[in-house]
Amino acid sequence: MTVFKGYMKIIKYNRWLIFMYLAIFFGVTIMFQAATGNEEQNAYQAHSVSIALVGEEDGSFLGAFEEYLGKFHEVKRMEEDTAFLQEELFYRNIEYIVRIPDNFYETCIKNREKLSVTKIPGSYTAFYVDEQINSFLNNARVYDAAGFSEEETAQALGEMETGQVEMRNAGKNAGEVPSYAFYYRYLPYLYMAVLCYVLGNVLSAFRRGDLPRRMKACAVSARRQSMEGFLAAAVMGAGLWIFSISVSFLFYRGSLAENGSLGYRLINSLLLLAVSLALAYFVGFITKDSSALNGIVNVLSLGMSFLCGVFVPLEYMSAGVKRTAQFLPVYWYETVNDILTEYGTITEQVKIRIYQAFGIQLAFAVALVCMTLAVAKKKKA
Amino acid sequence: MIEIKNLVKRYGNLVALDHLNLDIQEGEIFGLLGPNGSGKTTAISCMLALLKYDKGTIRIFGKEMSPDSYDIKQQIGIVLQNVAVFEELTVYENIDYFCGLYIKDKARRGQLVKEAISFAGLEDYTKMRPKKLSGGLLRRLNIACGIAHKPRLIIMDEPTVAVDPQSRNKILEGILELNRQGSTIIYTSHYMEEVEQICTRIAILDRGRTIAVGTKEELKEMIKTGETITIEAVILDDAQLKDIRSLPHVFDAKYENQILTLRCTGAKHNLIRILHYLEEKEVTFGRVFSELPTLNDVFLEITGKQLRD
Repeated sequence: MTVFKGYMKIIKYNRWLIFMYLAIFFGVTIMFQAATGNEEQNAYQAHSVSIALVGEEDGSFLGAFEEYLGKFHEVKRMEEDTAFLQEELFYRNIEYIVRIPDNFYETCIKNREKLSVTKIPGSYTAFYVDEQINSFLNNARVYDAAGFSEEETAQALGEMETGQVEMRNAGKNAGEVPSYAFYYRYLPYLYMAVLCYVLGNVLSAFRRGDLPRRMKACAVSARRQSMEGFLAAAVMGAGLWIFSISVSFLFYRGSLAENGSLGYRLINSLLLLAVSLALAYFVGFITKDSSALNGIVNVLSLGMSFLCGVFVPLEYMSAGVKRTAQFLPVYWYETVNDILTEYGTITEQVKIRIYQAFGIQLAFAVALVCMTLAVAKKKKA
Repeated sequence: MIEIKNLVKRYGNLVALDHLNLDIQEGEIFGLLGPNGSGKTTAISCMLALLKYDKGTIRIFGKEMSPDSYDIKQQIGIVLQNVAVFEELTVYENIDYFCGLYIKDKARRGQLVKEAISFAGLEDYTKMRPKKLSGGLLRRLNIACGIAHKPRLIIMDEPTVAVDPQSRNKILEGILELNRQGSTIIYTSHYMEEVEQICTRIAILDRGRTIAVGTKEELKEMIKTGETITIEAVILDDAQLKDIRSLPHVFDAKYENQILTLRCTGAKHNLIRILHYLEEKEVTFGRVFSELPTLNDVFLEITGKQLRD
């Protein structure tokens, strides 16, 4: 296993490069997660408004009204003091004022008079409260028209269940993007940069100067040398995969385990690893020196990351960019990643899309291996 | 030990080896001498099965050599023209790695690596990486990597190219020591002085062919030149030059830029005769050299061109 050990020693020599890319990866993940992690979640949160009820009335109907608003908002009883109320409104201590007329039930339900309210101009929360008050009053009017007394109406409205709205989208994840999704989104950059740089350096070390002649003239067969080289690359890849997956379990232990998509995520990352290893071998074979390797690896890792939805989510990409990205393996990794993020439950239909993307990634890996073998054969000839 | 018969190697229309024949015996330091492009490295590459050849046979240790002859390769050490070590590994790791390609037993390998380090005089540099070594030390590391496993046959392809004189002497002494320890050595070079200094037998190559083989004495006996006399800063007219050419035992005289070069057969008193003539004609002159024939003279006389052309 001398050749294997040689590979591992050169990999060890490149350890600082690995640490650097790990630091970049974790830095980017944490930064993006902090910046965009809760964005979509906030968009659907209910909002509570501070409401002041002003007036002397104290009937059962007003009690039901107060109880109804209290289910959604913070309701305070206040006395009529225009200056004080304006000040409270100005400082946003209250956002909505409802003036309860005398004989509230008689005035607003039987006589269908409008309720006097004061609100912050242009506020969407005020519009929200308007709708809720209108809904309550309309229901009361329906009960009244049906012959209910004030007490009976108040009781009926009190017993009325408030409609619970559950935000659902096709993906069942309720619009939430789990934080580990960001981690898995950036994995391609880590895998490609680390494997292409390190394996590229190792392979170019073995092709430097007269070393290939020396290796070819030695007592270890070319086949065995290749196998030991592949084994070293596989060990390195496995190490990187185990490390990256372990860290994801460490960071997101609870949420990862709860989600039914974990198995798919692991297979997806393994396929990405296979593609990255194949790409690293190909790059290592076609590059002559480390400066050329730097250029090629930067173009490949950053280029694919930007085009295929690593740094910029695919949903923000134009159709043209997406069409181009389809010819790159990382696009299919990110497609699976997005599907798994979007869908909490994997239906049969979704499974087909995932398996297709898996198949395409595998095909890319096989194609890269074939290309590497062709290049190696041509160089040998 | 090595038998090469009618070896032909072509690169397109270029014939790199043209029916090359060599027979190398165990225990020799066999020199392959020839100018650049004469086919030395190609011959070595064919011997090591690094190149496919068009015609001929190569037998090493009595067996046909092929790319899969790992039992033969196991007994060969190579020192290539360009330094072939890993920049990422230390001196010790490099020697250990290349020794490990031949020796599996860790304890024995450790011992051999130590011996190779000591042999190459690299004891103070074991933890250094090749980038920090001087050119001479790098060459010594290159040699240590090739010989650490104590091979029966060592092939050295111009191991002293671009090496300072001190390191060169150390390397040449090392080669003699390896030979004393029992290794057969094939040594290629275009430095005739080195080949003369260490090789027991020499083959002179030109255009892919062996033009002469033998010990250095045998090679020198093959040619007419017994002595080369050079006289600097001498002004001669045509008549005087004609007289000099007609002196006994002078068979070639060249006069360029006030430098007279005479090639004489191996008779005695050639130098005295020419100096007497110049004194008699009251011709003044500068420095005078008399040299015994070199391998360059052998090459010159056989091919009509200088070894370093």
